[in-house]
Amino acid sequence: MAGIAAGGGRRSPVAPYLLVAPGVLWLLAFYVVPTVTLARTSFGPADAAWYDGYQRAFTVYGVHLGRSFGYALAATLVCVLLGYPLAYAIAFRAGKYKNFLLGLVILPFFTTFLVRTFAWKTILNDGGIVVQVLGTIGMLPEEGRLLNTVWAVIGGLSYNFLPFMILPIYVSLEKIDRKLTEAANDLYCNAGQAFRKVVLPLSMPGVLAGSLLTFIPATGDFINAELLGSPNQKMLGSVIQGQFLQVRDYSLAASLSFVLMVIITIMVLLYARALGTEDLA
Amino acid sequence: MKKDPSYSEQELQAMVRRALSRRQFLGRTAMAAGGLTLGSAFLSACKGKEAAPVVKEVRISNWPLYIDPKTIPDFEAATGIKAIYTEDVNDNNEFFAKVDEPLKRGQSIDRDIVVLTDWMAGRFIKLGYTQAIPVAAFPNKANLVDHLTNVGFDPGRAHSVPWMSGMAGIGYNPKATGRELTSVADLFDPKFKGKVTMLTEMRDTLGLVMLGEGKDPAACTTADATAACAKIKQYRESGHIRGFTGNDYAEDLAAGNIAVAVAWSGDIQGLAADNPDLRWIAPKEGAMLYSDNMLIPKTSDRAELAATFMNYCYTPAHSAQIVATAPYISPVKGVGDELVKIAPALASSPLVNVPADVSARLRVFKWLEDAEDQEFNRLFQDAIGA
Repeated sequence: MAGIAAGGGRRSPVAPYLLVAPGVLWLLAFYVVPTVTLARTSFGPADAAWYDGYQRAFTVYGVHLGRSFGYALAATLVCVLLGYPLAYAIAFRAGKYKNFLLGLVILPFFTTFLVRTFAWKTILNDGGIVVQVLGTIGMLPEEGRLLNTVWAVIGGLSYNFLPFMILPIYVSLEKIDRKLTEAANDLYCNAGQAFRKVVLPLSMPGVLAGSLLTFIPATGDFINAELLGSPNQKMLGSVIQGQFLQVRDYSLAASLSFVLMVIITIMVLLYARALGTEDLA
Repeated sequence: MKKDPSYSEQELQAMVRRALSRRQFLGRTAMAAGGLTLGSAFLSACKGKEAAPVVKEVRISNWPLYIDPKTIPDFEAATGIKAIYTEDVNDNNEFFAKVDEPLKRGQSIDRDIVVLTDWMAGRFIKLGYTQAIPVAAFPNKANLVDHLTNVGFDPGRAHSVPWMSGMAGIGYNPKATGRELTSVADLFDPKFKGKVTMLTEMRDTLGLVMLGEGKDPAACTTADATAACAKIKQYRESGHIRGFTGNDYAEDLAAGNIAVAVAWSGDIQGLAADNPDLRWIAPKEGAMLYSDNMLIPKTSDRAELAATFMNYCYTPAHSAQIVATAPYISPVKGVGDELVKIAPALASSPLVNVPADVSARLRVFKWLEDAEDQEFNRLFQDAIGA
């Protein structure tokens, strides 16, 4: 405070605090207070050990935990593999159709998440065309169907979060100065080397941002698992919902929420560090 | 439900709702919307006690697809009372989780009638969350069928009256099964692997499985529940049971994604118009009977208006009109005669007019005390992988 007052000269020393006040109050009311309440709930009723909820979170629901991260990782990978080439094509090759194509990427958002996921139920129907075609070429999973299988869940997650991957990658590719690839070519890089040594590293912040925007919500998602999966594909989000609203075991539900939050945070930090762009995370 | 032109504008809404099932839809939307109902309940609580309404208005919470489109306008025209009818009860537990806190503190939940299944109605009454129904405004209460006038959770029906009763048994698609079904054991026939669903409503699914094991759900023990849950879990993990649903199984049954389901009688009857193949049976071992009951929350200041609405619905002709669209079992005497006039085919349906041999096989799940209820729930949620 003293530092600001000394350095600020004529400026009012309280002005910066007033400016951040709305944001701080917002976070206090809608983030800090609920989080503290949730933390207290997670330590459970007086008649059980404080770690009881956490213990059960790992012992009873370890499978769901692993599944949530597994599916989210798979979906993120699919999104990178599908999203990167698409973003690349839009940024470098689309020419005057760039905005139109970007519009197409955003278009699904005009319909709600729920309806779009439900549409997949119809598409992947047991008697539907997709199952018939895959059946004919012998590509059906062992269950002999697509709906209510792990493939449908990962597919649904990938489909729903794909735009969140494409847009940040597109933005980072779009920002790259074309002269850099020209320079790489002048220095005897072929197209592949120029991409690997220039474009790809420069677009990594986009890949990082896209992966976080895909991975984090996909981990907590339960609509896809619920609509497109079977009970053997239940993710942690459904368990938390069920524990809060059906069983009303609040301490377990709160513990599960915390475990999910902490693991996601750790994974995100490690990921950001590995990509060397932690200042962007 | 039968197709009705006035439903068309709600088509999309209804589609999603059915897809997600009446038992689950609200949970999702409410979670997405940040618990709007609860929020508004809290807000109105902050404003303090509401002033008496200038316009006479009664606010009703019921399950989706549980009324016909004409009853509410007819009621408003006949009584001059405005009725705000909301289909926001989709799961007993979820509804309870939303209103428990405000009711505990004596705050308004902005509802004058809520419709809940027997066991949850019992919990509401036991917790003191309801008020007595003003009998002066409800002379038609005399029309309540005899076998429902006295129930364990509400002797003499001082705090509750049934809205509709229904049965949980087995629904199937003969085209997919290739044969007629008769028994609970058919749910576990290896031929139907991956083509079976059960209900998330614990008492219906667990009760039916217990009946299949030769146990009586009306007098079951924790050991019976443990055994039945173990069986469900085993078949869930092997992939035999494809899912646990609210009434969204109906769409999958019609589409052929599943062949057999633990199903509610009214759903199958409702689908019969478009899918005449679908069947519902009360298995030879027995089927579950439940009622959904109208209650007046203790915080409602419009009990008289609520009773007026109940009175209206307890006129045989009016109840018949509801049954014609929502084909469950009416608790009102004399509905059969009225139904013959407006929907003769339905009036002879065994799902609406239950024959004596089926009646004899129906069971009501026993009343569970709190600790037992939590234990059964824990076992069941574990079994269904929730």
